[in-house]
Amino acid sequence: MPTPVVLGALAVLLAGPLPWAFSRWPRLRRTPAAAMLLWQSTALAAVLAALGAGLALVTGRLRQGAAGPGDVVVAALAGAITVVVLGRLLLSGHRTGTSLRRMRRLHRERVDLVARLDGGVSVLDHDVPVAYCVPGMSGARIVVSRSTLTRLAPAELDAVLGHERSHLRARHDLVLEAFTVLHLAFPRWVASASARREVEVLVEVLADRAACRGGDRRALLSALVTLAGSPAPAGSLGSTGPALAARAEVLGDPRSHPWQAVAVAVLAAAILALPTLLVVLPWLNGLV
Amino acid sequence: MGELEQAVLEALWDLDVSGRSGRSEGSDAPGASGREVHDRLAGRDLAYTTVMTVLDRLARKDLVVRQRDGRAFRYAPRLTRAAMTAELMHEALEGTRGDREQALVSFVGEASVEDLAALRRALDDLS
Repeated sequence: MPTPVVLGALAVLLAGPLPWAFSRWPRLRRTPAAAMLLWQSTALAAVLAALGAGLALVTGRLRQGAAGPGDVVVAALAGAITVVVLGRLLLSGHRTGTSLRRMRRLHRERVDLVARLDGGVSVLDHDVPVAYCVPGMSGARIVVSRSTLTRLAPAELDAVLGHERSHLRARHDLVLEAFTVLHLAFPRWVASASARREVEVLVEVLADRAACRGGDRRALLSALVTLAGSPAPAGSLGSTGPALAARAEVLGDPRSHPWQAVAVAVLAAAILALPTLLVVLPWLNGLV
Repeated sequence: MGELEQAVLEALWDLDVSGRSGRSEGSDAPGASGREVHDRLAGRDLAYTTVMTVLDRLARKDLVVRQRDGRAFRYAPRLTRAAMTAELMHEALEGTRGDREQALVSFVGEASVEDLAALRRALDDLS
Protein backbone atom coordinates (compact mmCIF):
# COMPACT_ATOMS: atom_id res chain seq x y z
CA MET A 1 0.00 0.00 0.00
CA PRO A 2 1.33 3.48 -0.74
CA THR A 3 2.99 5.18 2.24
CA PRO A 4 0.72 8.29 2.29
CA VAL A 5 -2.40 6.14 2.58
CA VAL A 6 -0.92 4.04 5.39
CA LEU A 7 0.28 7.11 7.27
CA GLY A 8 -3.01 8.92 6.73
CA ALA A 9 -5.00 5.96 8.05
CA LEU A 10 -2.60 5.72 10.99
CA ALA A 11 -3.03 9.43 11.75
CA VAL A 12 -6.80 9.08 11.77
CA LEU A 13 -6.60 6.01 13.99
CA LEU A 14 -4.19 7.71 16.42
CA ALA A 15 -6.17 10.93 16.56
CA GLY A 16 -9.63 9.44 17.00
CA PRO A 17 -10.56 5.83 17.80
CA LEU A 18 -7.43 4.95 19.78
CA PRO A 19 -7.55 7.83 22.30
CA TRP A 20 -11.30 7.33 22.48
CA ALA A 21 -10.71 3.70 23.49
CA PHE A 22 -7.99 4.64 25.99
CA SER A 23 -10.26 7.17 27.68
CA ARG A 24 -12.87 4.43 28.17
CA TRP A 25 -10.40 2.16 29.92
CA PRO A 26 -10.29 3.38 33.53
CA ARG A 27 -7.96 0.58 34.62
CA LEU A 28 -5.27 2.43 32.68
CA ARG A 29 -5.09 4.92 35.54
CA ARG A 30 -3.82 2.26 37.92
CA THR A 31 -0.44 2.56 36.17
CA PRO A 32 -0.42 6.34 35.84
CA ALA A 33 3.20 6.77 34.75
CA ALA A 34 2.88 4.23 31.92
CA ALA A 35 -0.52 5.63 31.00
CA MET A 36 0.99 9.11 30.75
CA LEU A 37 3.65 7.72 28.44
CA LEU A 38 0.94 6.13 26.31
CA TRP A 39 -1.02 9.37 25.92
CA GLN A 40 2.09 11.33 25.05
CA SER A 41 3.36 8.83 22.52
CA THR A 42 -0.09 8.53 20.92
CA ALA A 43 -0.40 12.30 20.54
CA LEU A 44 3.12 12.67 19.18
CA ALA A 45 2.66 9.73 16.80
CA ALA A 46 -0.62 11.19 15.53
CA VAL A 47 1.04 14.52 14.72
CA LEU A 48 4.03 12.80 13.09
CA ALA A 49 1.80 10.52 11.03
CA ALA A 50 -0.35 13.42 9.85
CA LEU A 51 2.65 15.49 8.82
CA GLY A 52 4.35 12.43 7.33
CA ALA A 53 1.29 11.55 5.24
CA GLY A 54 1.27 15.01 3.68
CA LEU A 55 5.00 15.02 2.97
CA ALA A 56 4.97 11.50 1.56
CA LEU A 57 2.14 12.46 -0.81
CA VAL A 58 4.03 15.53 -2.01
CA THR A 59 7.33 13.75 -2.63
CA GLY A 60 5.62 10.67 -4.06
CA ARG A 61 3.72 12.65 -6.69
CA LEU A 62 6.59 14.89 -7.70
CA ARG A 63 9.32 12.25 -7.79
CA GLN A 64 7.69 10.20 -10.54
CA GLY A 65 9.62 11.03 -13.71
CA ALA A 66 6.80 12.80 -15.58
CA ALA A 67 4.58 14.56 -13.09
CA GLY A 68 1.41 15.58 -14.88
CA PRO A 69 -0.69 18.64 -13.95
CA GLY A 70 -2.94 16.38 -11.89
CA ASP A 71 0.03 15.23 -9.80
CA VAL A 72 1.14 18.81 -9.26
CA VAL A 73 -2.33 19.82 -8.06
CA VAL A 74 -2.54 16.90 -5.64
CA ALA A 75 0.98 17.58 -4.38
CA ALA A 76 0.20 21.28 -3.90
CA LEU A 77 -2.99 20.46 -1.98
CA ALA A 78 -1.25 17.94 0.26
CA GLY A 79 1.59 20.37 0.86
CA ALA A 80 -0.85 23.15 1.74
CA ILE A 81 -2.71 20.95 4.23
CA THR A 82 0.56 19.87 5.82
CA VAL A 83 1.64 23.48 6.18
CA VAL A 84 -1.74 24.38 7.72
CA VAL A 85 -1.49 21.56 10.27
CA LEU A 86 2.05 22.55 11.24
CA GLY A 87 1.14 26.24 11.28
CA ARG A 88 -1.87 25.71 13.55
CA LEU A 89 0.27 23.73 15.98
CA LEU A 90 3.02 26.35 16.08
CA LEU A 91 0.57 29.23 16.40
CA SER A 92 -1.40 27.50 19.15
CA GLY A 93 1.85 26.65 20.95
CA HIS A 94 3.03 30.22 20.80
CA ARG A 95 -0.30 31.70 21.92
CA THR A 96 -0.83 29.22 24.74
CA GLY A 97 2.74 29.52 26.01
CA THR A 98 2.72 33.30 25.96
CA SER A 99 -0.64 33.69 27.67
CA LEU A 100 0.05 31.03 30.32
CA ARG A 101 3.38 32.58 31.24
CA ARG A 102 1.81 36.02 31.40
CA MET A 103 -1.11 34.91 33.60
CA ARG A 104 1.24 33.07 35.93
CA ARG A 105 3.64 35.99 36.22
CA LEU A 106 0.82 38.43 37.01
CA HIS A 107 -0.66 36.05 39.55
CA ARG A 108 2.71 35.35 41.19
CA GLU A 109 3.56 39.04 41.49
CA ARG A 110 0.33 39.76 43.34
CA VAL A 111 0.68 36.67 45.55
CA ASP A 112 4.10 37.92 46.60
CA LEU A 113 2.60 41.30 47.47
CA VAL A 114 -0.26 40.12 49.72
CA ALA A 115 0.71 36.65 50.93
CA ARG A 116 2.59 35.89 54.12
CA LEU A 117 5.44 33.41 53.72
CA ASP A 118 5.31 30.39 56.01
CA GLY A 119 7.98 27.72 55.52
CA GLY A 120 8.28 28.40 51.78
CA VAL A 121 4.51 28.39 51.28
CA SER A 122 2.57 31.55 50.44
CA VAL A 123 -0.44 31.99 52.71
CA LEU A 124 -3.39 34.12 51.58
CA ASP A 125 -5.53 35.61 54.32
CA HIS A 126 -8.90 34.16 53.32
CA ASP A 127 -11.71 32.00 54.78
CA VAL A 128 -12.18 29.74 51.77
CA PRO A 129 -9.70 26.86 51.79
CA VAL A 130 -7.57 26.51 48.67
CA ALA A 131 -4.29 24.86 47.80
CA TYR A 132 -2.69 25.33 44.42
CA CYS A 133 0.61 25.91 42.73
CA VAL A 134 1.77 28.54 40.28
CA PRO A 135 4.19 26.68 38.01
CA GLY A 136 7.12 28.35 36.34
CA MET A 137 10.76 27.97 35.37
CA SER A 138 11.93 30.38 38.03
CA GLY A 139 9.75 31.40 40.91
CA ALA A 140 7.17 28.65 41.19
CA ARG A 141 4.90 29.13 44.20
CA ILE A 142 2.76 26.92 46.38
CA VAL A 143 -0.20 28.90 47.68
CA VAL A 144 -2.69 27.99 50.40
CA SER A 145 -5.22 30.09 52.27
CA ARG A 146 -5.32 30.66 56.04
CA SER A 147 -8.42 28.52 56.22
CA THR A 148 -6.53 25.56 54.69
CA LEU A 149 -3.98 25.80 57.48
CA THR A 150 -6.61 25.87 60.22
CA ARG A 151 -8.81 23.10 58.80
CA LEU A 152 -6.18 20.50 58.00
CA ALA A 153 -4.29 18.39 60.52
CA PRO A 154 -0.49 18.55 60.19
CA ALA A 155 -0.25 15.20 58.39
CA GLU A 156 -3.01 16.25 55.99
CA LEU A 157 -1.27 19.51 55.23
CA ASP A 158 1.99 17.64 54.60
CA ALA A 159 0.19 15.40 52.12
CA VAL A 160 -1.31 18.40 50.30
CA LEU A 161 2.04 20.17 50.12
CA GLY A 162 3.71 16.94 48.96
CA HIS A 163 1.13 16.72 46.19
CA GLU A 164 1.79 20.29 45.04
CA ARG A 165 5.58 19.88 45.26
CA SER A 166 5.31 16.81 43.08
CA HIS A 167 3.44 18.86 40.43
CA LEU A 168 6.22 21.43 40.43
CA ARG A 169 9.10 18.97 40.54
CA ALA A 170 7.77 16.79 37.71
CA ARG A 171 6.79 19.86 35.64
CA HIS A 172 3.28 18.50 35.14
CA ASP A 173 2.37 21.93 33.83
CA LEU A 174 4.44 21.28 30.69
CA VAL A 175 2.53 18.07 29.91
CA LEU A 176 -0.79 19.83 30.46
CA GLU A 177 0.41 22.71 28.30
CA ALA A 178 1.34 20.39 25.43
CA PHE A 179 -2.11 18.78 25.45
CA THR A 180 -3.78 22.18 25.75
CA VAL A 181 -1.82 23.29 22.68
CA LEU A 182 -3.04 20.23 20.77
CA HIS A 183 -6.61 20.75 21.88
CA LEU A 184 -6.70 24.44 20.97
CA ALA A 185 -5.03 23.73 17.61
CA PHE A 186 -7.43 20.91 16.74
CA PRO A 187 -10.51 21.33 18.91
CA ARG A 188 -12.82 19.24 16.70
CA TRP A 189 -12.86 15.96 14.79
CA VAL A 190 -10.03 14.52 16.84
CA ALA A 191 -10.12 13.24 20.41
CA SER A 192 -8.00 16.12 21.70
CA ALA A 193 -10.53 17.07 24.38
CA SER A 194 -10.74 13.63 25.95
CA ALA A 195 -6.95 13.29 25.71
CA ARG A 196 -6.50 16.49 27.66
CA ARG A 197 -9.13 15.57 30.24
CA GLU A 198 -7.49 12.20 30.82
CA VAL A 199 -4.01 13.71 31.11
CA GLU A 200 -5.39 16.14 33.71
CA VAL A 201 -6.63 13.18 35.75
CA LEU A 202 -3.32 11.33 35.37
CA VAL A 203 -1.33 14.34 36.52
CA GLU A 204 -3.41 14.46 39.71
CA VAL A 205 -3.13 10.71 40.23
CA LEU A 206 0.65 10.88 39.83
CA ALA A 207 0.92 13.74 42.31
CA ASP A 208 -1.35 11.86 44.75
CA ARG A 209 0.90 8.80 44.50
CA ALA A 210 4.01 10.90 45.06
CA ALA A 211 2.41 12.54 48.10
CA CYS A 212 1.51 9.13 49.57
CA ARG A 213 4.99 7.77 49.13
CA GLY A 214 6.25 10.03 51.90
CA GLY A 215 3.18 10.19 54.11
CA ASP A 216 0.08 8.08 54.38
CA ARG A 217 -2.88 7.65 52.09
CA ARG A 218 -5.37 8.30 54.83
CA ALA A 219 -4.03 11.81 55.37
CA LEU A 220 -4.25 12.63 51.66
CA LEU A 221 -7.76 11.21 51.33
CA SER A 222 -9.09 13.04 54.36
CA ALA A 223 -7.44 16.25 53.11
CA LEU A 224 -9.27 15.73 49.81
CA VAL A 225 -12.56 15.22 51.66
CA THR A 226 -12.03 18.33 53.77
CA LEU A 227 -10.99 20.61 50.92
CA ALA A 228 -13.47 19.23 48.38
CA GLY A 229 -16.33 19.34 50.84
CA SER A 230 -15.91 22.97 51.76
CA PRO A 231 -18.41 25.38 50.29
CA ALA A 232 -17.14 27.23 47.25
CA PRO A 233 -18.01 30.90 46.86
CA ALA A 234 -21.33 31.31 45.09
CA GLY A 235 -21.28 31.34 41.31
CA SER A 236 -17.57 30.81 40.96
CA LEU A 237 -17.30 27.24 39.82
CA GLY A 238 -18.55 24.63 37.45
CA SER A 239 -18.06 20.93 37.79
CA THR A 240 -14.64 19.41 37.29
CA GLY A 241 -15.79 16.11 35.90
CA PRO A 242 -14.63 12.64 36.81
CA ALA A 243 -11.21 13.55 38.17
CA LEU A 244 -12.00 13.30 41.88
CA ALA A 245 -13.80 9.96 41.81
CA ALA A 246 -10.96 8.57 39.70
CA ARG A 247 -8.39 9.80 42.19
CA ALA A 248 -10.33 8.22 45.04
CA GLU A 249 -10.42 4.93 43.18
CA VAL A 250 -6.67 4.89 42.48
CA LEU A 251 -5.88 5.93 46.05
CA GLY A 252 -8.03 3.07 47.31
CA ASP A 253 -5.93 0.59 45.36
CA PRO A 254 -2.28 0.97 46.37
CA ARG A 255 -1.07 -2.30 44.79
CA SER A 256 1.38 -1.88 41.97
CA HIS A 257 0.51 -3.52 38.68
CA PRO A 258 3.89 -4.28 37.14
CA TRP A 259 2.59 -6.38 34.25
CA GLN A 260 0.10 -3.78 33.17
CA ALA A 261 2.77 -1.09 33.51
CA VAL A 262 5.19 -3.01 31.26
CA ALA A 263 2.49 -3.84 28.71
CA VAL A 264 1.29 -0.23 28.52
CA ALA A 265 4.85 1.10 28.23
CA VAL A 266 5.61 -1.34 25.41
CA LEU A 267 2.40 -0.31 23.66
CA ALA A 268 3.44 3.34 24.01
CA ALA A 269 6.84 2.62 22.47
CA ALA A 270 5.28 0.61 19.63
CA ILE A 271 2.79 3.36 18.83
CA LEU A 272 5.56 5.93 18.57
CA ALA A 273 7.84 3.61 16.58
CA LEU A 274 5.17 2.73 14.01
CA PRO A 275 4.91 5.98 12.02
CA THR A 276 8.62 6.59 12.38
CA LEU A 277 9.46 3.21 10.84
CA LEU A 278 6.84 3.68 8.14
CA VAL A 279 8.27 7.04 7.13
CA VAL A 280 11.96 6.60 7.71
CA LEU A 281 12.54 3.09 6.39
CA PRO A 282 10.95 3.53 2.93
CA TRP A 283 12.63 6.87 2.62
CA LEU A 284 16.03 5.34 3.42
CA ASN A 285 15.33 2.50 1.00
CA GLY A 286 14.46 5.01 -1.67
CA LEU A 287 17.84 6.65 -1.26
CA VAL A 288 19.92 3.52 -1.90
CA MET B 1 12.90 44.27 44.24
CA GLY B 2 9.74 42.35 45.15
CA GLU B 3 10.37 43.00 48.81
CA LEU B 4 10.62 46.76 48.18
CA GLU B 5 7.43 46.75 46.16
CA GLN B 6 5.71 44.97 49.02
CA ALA B 7 6.92 47.57 51.54
CA VAL B 8 5.83 50.49 49.37
CA LEU B 9 2.43 48.98 48.65
CA GLU B 10 1.92 48.30 52.33
CA ALA B 11 2.77 51.90 53.12
CA LEU B 12 0.16 52.95 50.56
CA TRP B 13 -2.42 50.63 52.11
CA ASP B 14 -1.74 52.09 55.55
CA LEU B 15 -1.94 55.66 54.23
CA ASP B 16 -5.07 54.78 52.30
CA VAL B 17 -6.83 53.62 55.46
CA SER B 18 -5.75 56.63 57.53
CA GLY B 19 -6.60 58.91 54.59
CA ARG B 20 -10.12 57.51 54.42
CA SER B 21 -10.68 58.11 58.11
CA GLY B 22 -10.01 61.79 57.43
CA ARG B 23 -6.53 62.32 58.82
CA SER B 24 -4.91 63.26 55.52
CA GLU B 25 -2.84 66.42 55.79
CA GLY B 26 -4.45 69.24 53.84
CA SER B 27 -5.02 67.64 50.44
CA ASP B 28 -8.50 66.55 49.35
CA ALA B 29 -7.17 64.33 46.56
CA PRO B 30 -7.21 60.58 47.21
CA GLY B 31 -4.03 58.61 47.71
CA ALA B 32 -0.65 59.75 48.95
CA SER B 33 2.21 61.78 47.52
CA GLY B 34 5.63 60.25 46.97
CA ARG B 35 6.87 62.33 49.88
CA GLU B 36 4.23 60.89 52.24
CA VAL B 37 5.14 57.34 51.22
CA HIS B 38 8.80 58.11 51.71
CA ASP B 39 8.11 59.52 55.19
CA ARG B 40 6.11 56.46 56.15
CA LEU B 41 9.07 54.26 55.17
CA ALA B 42 11.54 56.44 57.13
CA GLY B 43 12.69 53.47 59.21
CA ARG B 44 14.00 51.69 56.13
CA ASP B 45 16.43 54.46 55.13
CA LEU B 46 15.41 54.51 51.45
CA ALA B 47 16.33 57.25 49.01
CA TYR B 48 13.34 59.34 47.86
CA THR B 49 14.12 58.51 44.24
CA THR B 50 14.05 54.79 45.05
CA VAL B 51 10.55 55.14 46.48
CA MET B 52 9.46 57.06 43.39
CA THR B 53 10.93 54.39 41.08
CA VAL B 54 9.07 51.66 42.93
CA LEU B 55 5.83 53.67 42.88
CA ASP B 56 6.13 54.14 39.13
CA ARG B 57 6.79 50.48 38.61
CA LEU B 58 3.73 49.55 40.69
CA ALA B 59 1.70 52.00 38.61
CA ARG B 60 2.99 50.42 35.40
CA LYS B 61 1.91 47.02 36.72
CA ASP B 62 -1.53 48.50 37.34
CA LEU B 63 -1.33 47.76 41.04
CA VAL B 64 -1.27 51.42 41.91
CA VAL B 65 -3.31 54.26 40.39
CA ARG B 66 -1.42 57.48 39.65
CA GLN B 67 -3.22 60.82 39.52
CA ARG B 68 -1.83 64.24 38.73
CA ASP B 69 -2.18 66.71 41.58
CA GLY B 70 -0.78 70.11 40.63
CA ARG B 71 2.89 69.63 39.75
CA ALA B 72 3.25 66.24 41.46
CA PHE B 73 1.46 62.89 41.41
CA ARG B 74 -0.65 61.18 44.02
CA TYR B 75 -0.63 57.41 44.32
CA ALA B 76 -3.37 55.12 45.57
CA PRO B 77 -3.59 51.32 45.64
CA ARG B 78 -5.93 50.04 42.93
CA LEU B 79 -7.38 47.52 45.37
CA THR B 80 -7.38 47.16 49.12
CA ARG B 81 -5.36 44.28 50.52
CA ALA B 82 -8.53 42.25 51.11
CA ALA B 83 -9.80 42.93 47.59
CA MET B 84 -6.50 41.85 46.04
CA THR B 85 -6.57 38.65 48.10
CA ALA B 86 -10.14 38.02 46.94
CA GLU B 87 -9.07 38.61 43.34
CA LEU B 88 -6.32 35.99 43.65
CA MET B 89 -8.68 33.52 45.32
CA HIS B 90 -11.16 34.05 42.51
CA GLU B 91 -8.49 33.34 39.88
CA ALA B 92 -7.39 30.20 41.72
CA LEU B 93 -10.93 28.84 42.08
CA GLU B 94 -12.01 29.92 38.61
CA GLY B 95 -8.91 28.26 37.16
CA THR B 96 -10.19 24.84 38.18
CA ARG B 97 -13.11 25.11 35.80
CA GLY B 98 -10.94 23.68 33.02
CA ASP B 99 -11.66 23.66 29.29
CA ARG B 100 -9.31 26.57 28.68
CA GLU B 101 -5.63 26.78 29.40
CA GLN B 102 -4.87 26.19 33.04
CA ALA B 103 -2.50 28.70 34.53
CA LEU B 104 -2.81 27.38 38.08
CA VAL B 105 -2.95 23.78 39.22
CA SER B 106 -5.32 23.29 42.14
CA PHE B 107 -5.22 20.48 44.68
CA VAL B 108 -8.92 19.93 44.25
CA GLY B 109 -11.67 21.60 42.26
CA GLU B 110 -15.34 21.69 43.09
CA ALA B 111 -16.61 18.24 43.95
CA SER B 112 -19.91 16.68 42.99
CA VAL B 113 -21.94 14.67 45.47
CA GLU B 114 -20.75 11.47 43.76
CA ASP B 115 -17.12 12.58 44.04
CA LEU B 116 -17.48 13.17 47.76
CA ALA B 117 -19.19 9.82 48.22
CA ALA B 118 -16.37 8.08 46.34
CA LEU B 119 -13.76 9.83 48.50
CA ARG B 120 -15.54 8.89 51.72
CA ARG B 121 -15.87 5.27 50.55
CA ALA B 122 -12.15 5.09 49.79
CA LEU B 123 -11.40 6.56 53.20
CA ASP B 124 -13.71 4.05 54.91
CA ASP B 125 -12.09 1.17 53.04
CA LEU B 126 -8.75 2.07 54.56
CA SER B 127 -9.91 1.43 58.08
